[in-house]
Amino acid sequence: MRAQRMQRTLLSLVLRLLLLCTVATGKCSGKYHELLLQLQRQADLMQDPSTLLDPYIHLQGLHSPVLQEHCRERPGDFPSEDALWRLSRQDFLQTLNTTLGLILRMLSALQQDLPEAAHQQAEMNVRGFGNNIHCMAQLLRGSSDPKAAEPTQPGPGPTPLPPTPPSSTFQRKLRNCGFLRGYHRFMRTAGQVLRGWGERQGRSRRHSPCRALKRGARRTRPFPEIRRLAPRGQPPR
Amino acid sequence: MPTQILQIAFIQKYLCKMFTLQTWIVQALFIFLTTESIGELIVPCAHIHPESSVVQLGSNFTAVCVLKEKCMDDYHVTANDIFWKTGRVPVPYEQYSVINRTASSVTFPNITLINALLTCNIRMFGQINRSVYGIRIISGLPPEKPKNLSCIVNEGKKMMCQWDPGRETYLETNYTLKSEWATEKFDDCKAKRDTPTSCTVDYPPVYFVNIEVWVEAENALGKVTSDHINFDPVDKVKLNPPHILSVNSSKELSSILKLTWTDSRFKSFITLKYDIQYRTKDASTWNQVPPEDTSSTRSSFTVQDLKPFTEYVFRIRCMKEDGKGYWSDWSEEASGITYEDRPSKAPNFWYKIEPSHAHGTRSIQLKWKTLPPFEANGKILDYEVTLTKWKSHSQNYTVKDTKLTVNLTNDRYVATLTARNLVGKSDASVLTIPAWDFQATHPITDLKAFPKDNVLWVEWTAPNESVNRYILEWCVLSDKSPCIPDWQQEDGTVHRTYLRAPSRGPTVRTKKVGKNEAVLEWDHLPIDVQNGFIRNYTIFYRTVIGNEIAVNVDSSHTEYTLSSLTSDTLYMVRMAAYTDEGGKDGPEFTFTTPKFAQGEIEAIVVPVCLAFLLTTLLGVLFCFNKRDLIKKHIWPNVPDPSKSHIAQWSPHTPPRHFNSKDQMYPDGNFTDVSVVEIEANDKKPFPEDLKSLDLFKKEKVNTEGHSSGIGGSSCMSSSRPSISSSDENESAQNTSSTVQYSTVVHSGYRHQVPSVQVFSRSESTQPLLDSEERPEDLQLVDNVDGSDGILPRQRYFKQNCSQHETSPDISHFERSQQVSSVNEEDFVRLKQQQISDHISQPYGSGKMKMFQEVPAVDAFGPGIEGQVERFETVGMEDAVDEGMPKSYLPQTVRRGGYMPQ
Repeated sequence: MRAQRMQRTLLSLVLRLLLLCTVATGKCSGKYHELLLQLQRQADLMQDPSTLLDPYIHLQGLHSPVLQEHCRERPGDFPSEDALWRLSRQDFLQTLNTTLGLILRMLSALQQDLPEAAHQQAEMNVRGFGNNIHCMAQLLRGSSDPKAAEPTQPGPGPTPLPPTPPSSTFQRKLRNCGFLRGYHRFMRTAGQVLRGWGERQGRSRRHSPCRALKRGARRTRPFPEIRRLAPRGQPPR
Repeated sequence: MPTQILQIAFIQKYLCKMFTLQTWIVQALFIFLTTESIGELIVPCAHIHPESSVVQLGSNFTAVCVLKEKCMDDYHVTANDIFWKTGRVPVPYEQYSVINRTASSVTFPNITLINALLTCNIRMFGQINRSVYGIRIISGLPPEKPKNLSCIVNEGKKMMCQWDPGRETYLETNYTLKSEWATEKFDDCKAKRDTPTSCTVDYPPVYFVNIEVWVEAENALGKVTSDHINFDPVDKVKLNPPHILSVNSSKELSSILKLTWTDSRFKSFITLKYDIQYRTKDASTWNQVPPEDTSSTRSSFTVQDLKPFTEYVFRIRCMKEDGKGYWSDWSEEASGITYEDRPSKAPNFWYKIEPSHAHGTRSIQLKWKTLPPFEANGKILDYEVTLTKWKSHSQNYTVKDTKLTVNLTNDRYVATLTARNLVGKSDASVLTIPAWDFQATHPITDLKAFPKDNVLWVEWTAPNESVNRYILEWCVLSDKSPCIPDWQQEDGTVHRTYLRAPSRGPTVRTKKVGKNEAVLEWDHLPIDVQNGFIRNYTIFYRTVIGNEIAVNVDSSHTEYTLSSLTSDTLYMVRMAAYTDEGGKDGPEFTFTTPKFAQGEIEAIVVPVCLAFLLTTLLGVLFCFNKRDLIKKHIWPNVPDPSKSHIAQWSPHTPPRHFNSKDQMYPDGNFTDVSVVEIEANDKKPFPEDLKSLDLFKKEKVNTEGHSSGIGGSSCMSSSRPSISSSDENESAQNTSSTVQYSTVVHSGYRHQVPSVQVFSRSESTQPLLDSEERPEDLQLVDNVDGSDGILPRQRYFKQNCSQHETSPDISHFERSQQVSSVNEEDFVRLKQQQISDHISQPYGSGKMKMFQEVPAVDAFGPGIEGQVERFETVGMEDAVDEGMPKSYLPQTVRRGGYMPQ
């Protein structure tokens, strides 16, 4: 019985990937490229300082070039570019997810210090980005089981932690400014990494789940997660 | 309680038997409503199942009325006595069904649209009808599944979704837009009652994240959900329209215009495509730039194949390149003018030989047609005419007009004509002017003209030889106007044409002239002068010193607004009407733009007037509010000494007058009042009588002048009554036995030390008070000796009027005032003034020293007192007349009694 169920699940997964390379994952887009493009563009959108940093600087009166000099990202707030490039896809998504949780908490703390519209839009963007990370993780795992994608739910992560509030208000402003600068830098880097996924896909179609599956499920699966998760079994959808 | 109701019903029954059935129904309804309104206080006799009903249209509906036992007993009714009504209309008995002794049902088959009150009624005692319960029946339909759900995200705004709700439900139906991501749900968006087919969500759109949206429709008859749609909001976006920054022409290429714009910041993330349209300013239809040329993100586009020197209007919109989403609105229109190009055609050229009196020469008038705008390709600056005689030098002429008259010899000439604009010259029109003795050998024949299709056709038979071109000349034959020849040029291959050029141009006039614009209007040319189809008009306008500007106007228009005019400037404007074959100028019209726009003067003058009025009003109000203060400063309340009284005062109780003062002059105008008693001794001529006489004469004038001041000379002015009174020498002498002194000390005016602030009067026969004679008091005067002439005087008066320097100075001053005001003609008084001459010194700086040199004792000697007495006695005539005893009691000085002189 269990074996039959596993076979049925595998067949279902293969069929779904063959048909328009789509994995029905609830409200998520089941199209890998579409989802990847969405993530890239989201990262592009969120790396734009005009969405968050500039309104903060404007509202807090930190226009001065001297002050801008002190508005720097503090090492350790966000993962470095090198570190992100070294991560596997799942780990990358996991790190993104964790960092988004940190950003959400920071945004919550900055609610009074940002224009309401900018704050609301930024928070929604972060949540939306987390949603897409969830979908991508789910897609990579080839499972629509929410539990399979649980680690990618936006939420508090183990590291890094939000910066502790500095003593003076001015220091806190500079600290927040540096954090927001780091946020935009991090999103820019994330976008580059995500574009790297697409380029690697372009150069080598081996990494495309569609191509891989179209060539046959017998061959090496590009994403170990799919192979690993497939036996868990999913009811055909 | 039911018993009471029953009694009421009975009473009504017996008293109102004549009432109709309708009356009973009304009463029953009243009871029913009463029962309804009282609610729990009255227990209904029955109830209906179901309690409330929303019934689906077309279905069967059954209601059951169940009577309560108590009611049945009280009213002796059973289910058989139940009857039903919808509103006031009884339900036919066929629809009733008595279920048992207490219950009766009614059934409505295939119910229609209804919204009515269904009442259960009983008939008591066989004739009294009463409603015992009621329910409202509403019929309607369950909501249909919403269809065509679609969403739109206007850039910068929140997502709005709309749907087709389907059929009318006739019921209150709630529509709820639901949305969620894979990871979270959003708050429901409940459609408003007035817009039940759309809803705008509360959260900002998040692009590049798929969202699932659906609609739930719910009413009393059911709930239904639309299909779910899943989309990326960026695929539903309607971008903000681009903003056209500029429309630039190119000097190198007169057929292009470059359009630049800015558009949505989305172009950083998504590829956009554009839709660009353009038209000439006067056209109404738009030309489309091929979409494939604008299918990628860009911020400029060069439109080609445009006509030179033509104004084009552009607009642009954008959307996502993949076609998902919506076109933005059109941008605001922007216009630009292509650069000029050289005239594309040579002007039509002809000549006319005019009679000349000079032997061997001819007067030739060369004339040509203006090029229509689409051939002029710019503003024609001038025409160049070249006349060449065989084997001779050429004569060149540059002409701005469209004709040139030259005197030529009888030889053959070749004339060429080119039109020139900013860019270049047209091709040349060549015309041969034959020699005077030239005979045309091959004239055309069979020339005839006939009207057809509202134009005048001309037909001729061509000669056998080849013809380069034909020139047709004509004029309008009219009794009202002379024959003004017109002409047109035809190709050498045709032998039939119609008169095409308008025979006259339109007459333009102004409809409205503003500061920077003028609305021109004109009438369509009559058909008989159009000579073809008017293709367009051209308006030429210029200032006296400026260049002429040409504007093309569509032939369908009859008015045009010239904009960007200069105010207070004379403009000359004319219009030309063009057919395919040429144009004709109309008469020139001049107008002057006003210096100010309509209402501009009013806009300036009215606020200024209002401001002035307001300021004035505020000033008046301020003055009114501060009138006391102003009066105090400008027009102080100076007591008139002539109206003053020395109140009853006893010398034995000197402190009393201080108390009296406080009571009488609380405003502080008078800071001190004292009475000085001086014993009047024998009059002794002042030793320096004669010496001081001249000085007095001079001083008198000054003193009188001072005395007329307002307020500031309160002390001085007090001398006037004394002087006028002192004319009566007798009375002065009669009272020589006593001199009464009183001192009135004024507090000053405008923080200045009053020049004269003391008014003294005495009826005393006693010598001066000790204080007046105290040398230390006078020492104050002496102290100013070293100062210049003015300051000491002021100080002196200040001391006089001060509270602490009372009697001695007062007596000095009083005497000086009296003396200074004396009439010169009265020698006796002048003699008396010898005494006070010394005292009057303070009025003149030059006399200050003299005054100071007088010893205090001498100055207040008996002779002085005697003189003073005479004056003061007269001055006190009021008191005397009233029979007041010359006591030492203080006289009352009424407030306000000391009027300014």
